[in-house]
Amino acid sequence: MPTKPKIAIHWLGACGGCDETIVDLNEVLLTVADAVEIVLWPLALDFKYHDVERLADGAIALSIVHGNVRNSEHLEVARLLRRKSQLLLAFGACSCFGGTPGLANLRGREDLFRWIYHDAPTVVNPDGREPAPCSTANGYELTLPELFDRVYALDQVVPVDYYLPGCPPPPDLVGNAVYAALQGKLPPRGATLAPHRALCDTCTRNGTKPLKLSLTDVRRPHEVEVESSTCFLAKGVLCVGPATRAGCGGTCLGTNTPCRGCFGPLDGVADGGAKFLSALSSLCAVEAVARSIDDPVGYLYRFTQPSSILGETKA
Amino acid sequence: MWQTQSTGRTRVEPAIKQFLPPCQAKCPINEDIQRTNVLLSLLPDTPEAAAGGIVQIGDYLYDRNPLFEVCGYVCGLCELDCNYSEKGGAIRRRLLKRFVADHYGAHLEAKEEFDLVRSKEGVAVVGGGPSGLMAAFDLSKRGYRVTVFESSDRLGGALWLIPRYRLPEEVLRSAVDNLVRITGIDVKVNVRVGEGKLTLDRLRNDGYRAVFIARGSPTPRILSFGGQPVEGQELSGVMYGQTFLYEVSHGNIAPDYFCGKRVVVIGGGNVAFDVARTARRLGGDTTMVCLECEDKASRDGIPADHEEIKGAWEEGIRIVYSRGVQKIRGEGGVFRRIECPRCTAVFDETGFAPRFDLADTVDLAGDVLVLAVGQGPERAWLEREGLLDDAGRLAVDPVTLQSRTREWVFVGGDMRRIGFLAEAMRDGLEAAESIERLLRGLDVREGRTRSFEAQAIPLRRAYKHEPEVVWIPPEKRMHFQLFERGFTLQEAREEAKRCLTCGPCLSCKACVSVGLQPELPTVVVHDERCSGCGICSSICYYDAAHPRPAHGGVRSSTDRFRCKACGMCVVACPADAREMFGCDLDQRFEQTLAAL
Amino acid sequence: MPATTPKIVCFSCSFGWGYLGERDALGARIDHWLPVACSGKVDATHVLRAFQRGADGVLILGCPEGECHFQDGNYQTKKKVALLQRVLAAHGVEPGRLQMVLGVDPEGSRAVAAVDALARELRALGPVAVRAPLDGTIAPGP
Repeated sequence: MPTKPKIAIHWLGACGGCDETIVDLNEVLLTVADAVEIVLWPLALDFKYHDVERLADGAIALSIVHGNVRNSEHLEVARLLRRKSQLLLAFGACSCFGGTPGLANLRGREDLFRWIYHDAPTVVNPDGREPAPCSTANGYELTLPELFDRVYALDQVVPVDYYLPGCPPPPDLVGNAVYAALQGKLPPRGATLAPHRALCDTCTRNGTKPLKLSLTDVRRPHEVEVESSTCFLAKGVLCVGPATRAGCGGTCLGTNTPCRGCFGPLDGVADGGAKFLSALSSLCAVEAVARSIDDPVGYLYRFTQPSSILGETKA
Repeated sequence: MWQTQSTGRTRVEPAIKQFLPPCQAKCPINEDIQRTNVLLSLLPDTPEAAAGGIVQIGDYLYDRNPLFEVCGYVCGLCELDCNYSEKGGAIRRRLLKRFVADHYGAHLEAKEEFDLVRSKEGVAVVGGGPSGLMAAFDLSKRGYRVTVFESSDRLGGALWLIPRYRLPEEVLRSAVDNLVRITGIDVKVNVRVGEGKLTLDRLRNDGYRAVFIARGSPTPRILSFGGQPVEGQELSGVMYGQTFLYEVSHGNIAPDYFCGKRVVVIGGGNVAFDVARTARRLGGDTTMVCLECEDKASRDGIPADHEEIKGAWEEGIRIVYSRGVQKIRGEGGVFRRIECPRCTAVFDETGFAPRFDLADTVDLAGDVLVLAVGQGPERAWLEREGLLDDAGRLAVDPVTLQSRTREWVFVGGDMRRIGFLAEAMRDGLEAAESIERLLRGLDVREGRTRSFEAQAIPLRRAYKHEPEVVWIPPEKRMHFQLFERGFTLQEAREEAKRCLTCGPCLSCKACVSVGLQPELPTVVVHDERCSGCGICSSICYYDAAHPRPAHGGVRSSTDRFRCKACGMCVVACPADAREMFGCDLDQRFEQTLAAL
Repeated sequence: MPATTPKIVCFSCSFGWGYLGERDALGARIDHWLPVACSGKVDATHVLRAFQRGADGVLILGCPEGECHFQDGNYQTKKKVALLQRVLAAHGVEPGRLQMVLGVDPEGSRAVAAVDALARELRALGPVAVRAPLDGTIAPGP
């Protein structure tokens, strides 16, 4: 009997939602679990980093890594898994692009610490303590992973073979990806394992978009009632669907929520936020409408700041 | 300043699918209006700096239309179909062209003769009006040896009948004289083909392999009522408009000829207005009577141009609408008055068929009666030459202008159909094309019918109002000097800039010719990237980006005849599904980044 | 204040700016000059890329409002600039580093002046500092 391929599933800077979607594979997961040997999955199994360290380099067939790289532990494990794995899959928006936590890059660590440990009104911190990589308590030296100055997408710290975006990725794409990996039917390296068109392609609301779309007023979802069949943009509600890769299954749209962009930009688009900025500004009837948009950066880069053009600017 | 010659990449190509801007589609000779408007808009802002550019624009226009200066004073056909008409007023193309003409005149006098090799057959052009001159110009450029036979003492034909206050004599004279000089056309004036032994057959025997006849419509139409000529047209004091204008143009009428006289002009066309306004300038107390009603929009509306009506009104000319002339009354052989029944309808489904209410008749007294109700060709000569059909109509193919009775004879201009100056000019060009085909043994008919589809007005945030046209106040313009002020350089630039350049880039290429773009880019849609989101359709000003069903979904498309490659859709497409081919911006941008 | 000349990427609409000037001569006076058929062709991506690759400022020269040969291309970019300035500000880049000037300048002399004026402002601002940039060593911290 041939040995089963080894698989690792790991979270870095993540909320756990991506693990949830893997669990949501349900019966499929059981089939997969039969076919593979899971060597690391903190959510479900009690393997430790040193178990992975003991494996030969390249011993793991596929590492599924979700979450971004926010601290020194994330970086260390990302590098470890890269070394031990034949294939590394960036799983979920945080891993692919940096994700929502990436918006913290608009501040930097110092700013964040100042607010969270000092200035926020609910903080009680008379000694002015902040987390530090090394500290001493009762004669013991304690260490913590160091929080970096910014959030990194996975491929900004190690080479990544495949991408599966989403917040979280939907189970069907996860299942497809795992089967493709097991059967050796993966596309060329570097590919995103999701459709190659924008969400409008599959959106049932797209037909109600007028030929001449013109925003005279930008409204937030709670400010206007949008029928379940109507294009959000036609109602003045910002929907990032035109600039966002399809594949999510339209979950948000199904709950009458506009697309927020978790599948990221299309192949070859360097900066989805910039492209949507150009699109959005062209839709604004007048400059005042463009100026009236609250927090444009939040709309444009909700999931992608770390991998955007400015986010990739080097020091 | 620029390379306005149509060479290589800057060459204007015939619009595929015959899409044109509406002005050019309307223009009988399809002048490159859009291109020259763009060039005008790019002129420098001082007259000294702009002089070279204006001459270049003039040379470019001249190459296709040697009478463009004349057109600049009298022809505004293109303005009738200008998309801007409904958004603030048509682009004042005529005044733009007049602006060029005003600066081109001096250059024209010194313009070098065309370097032509006249190795092809001899062609005779009978009639030296605009139609004949255009044929002669075009045939000459094609290498034919052209001889123009003109029955009067000067070339220009009916252009001489245009009053001087609209078309200065020196402009007309210079245009005609220089056309002859520059193209090296052989001209015989005071020679009337058809008189004596000078028949068409004689011309052929003399070696002319083809003849273009464009002798206009010099015969005034007799005033009739109920199908019968109205009596009294022989009375002293009754004259025909055409004859009157001819005599005025020859300086045979004294400046105070009508002083103290009541002049009645019959007719509602532009010629009638030329007559009335000329009579007014000769001192006459002038009244016009026309069958048509005041409402130009109705079927029975007055045919003359709005500007003529306005000008006449300002000059104190009374216009009596919806009246015919049933009787001309005189005393002692001298005209005294006309009897005018009310005209209840001018046209019916079959055409001109005026009806009258005889119970409602008014008398109109006067000292002079000028009849300007139309004109026609010299029929007797045409009949003698066998150019009429059994029904007495001119037997001519309306497309090729080839005679149906003699294949080497072509007929055009007002002789064939009374029309505008530019229509007569078009006939000249069409005849030249037919003659070339005939003499080169090609099919005269093939591919000749052209129909143009005009493009719609581009969308934009705001449209601008037309500029005011400045006329000398009526009390100061009772003379034969121009009464309309031409554009200044600044006004011309602004008006040219107002042009929305509705037409396809292929038939313009002004930007390429002056080096603003190396070539015309093309926008393509990458189907495999397009999600059909429709943002391109929203942004497109030219109605060129459209959704279309494909692959079970919706994809966008680009109508390349409408697309101007402005790139708005390419920039706005959030999926990079649109690409601009032939645009080197991204390449230059990369080089720039590398150099930072 | 940096001693070096600020690096300014200058896009200019060819229908309004410098079309009568000698292109090479003008190019010699404007270091990183990019004539475009219409200022509307300038994409947000171009602007951000320029800053990412080391520009201290970006200047876009367009036709006066209402006079765009391509109808409203200049206005399209004006709207883009309004949003881009906020994106830049959020990243710690002074919005004044991106400017758009509308006007007509066939000879190109005003273009040179506009670049010089922006250069003066940029000298006062100093170098661009995008917040939380990528660290070249990947492994940051002590």
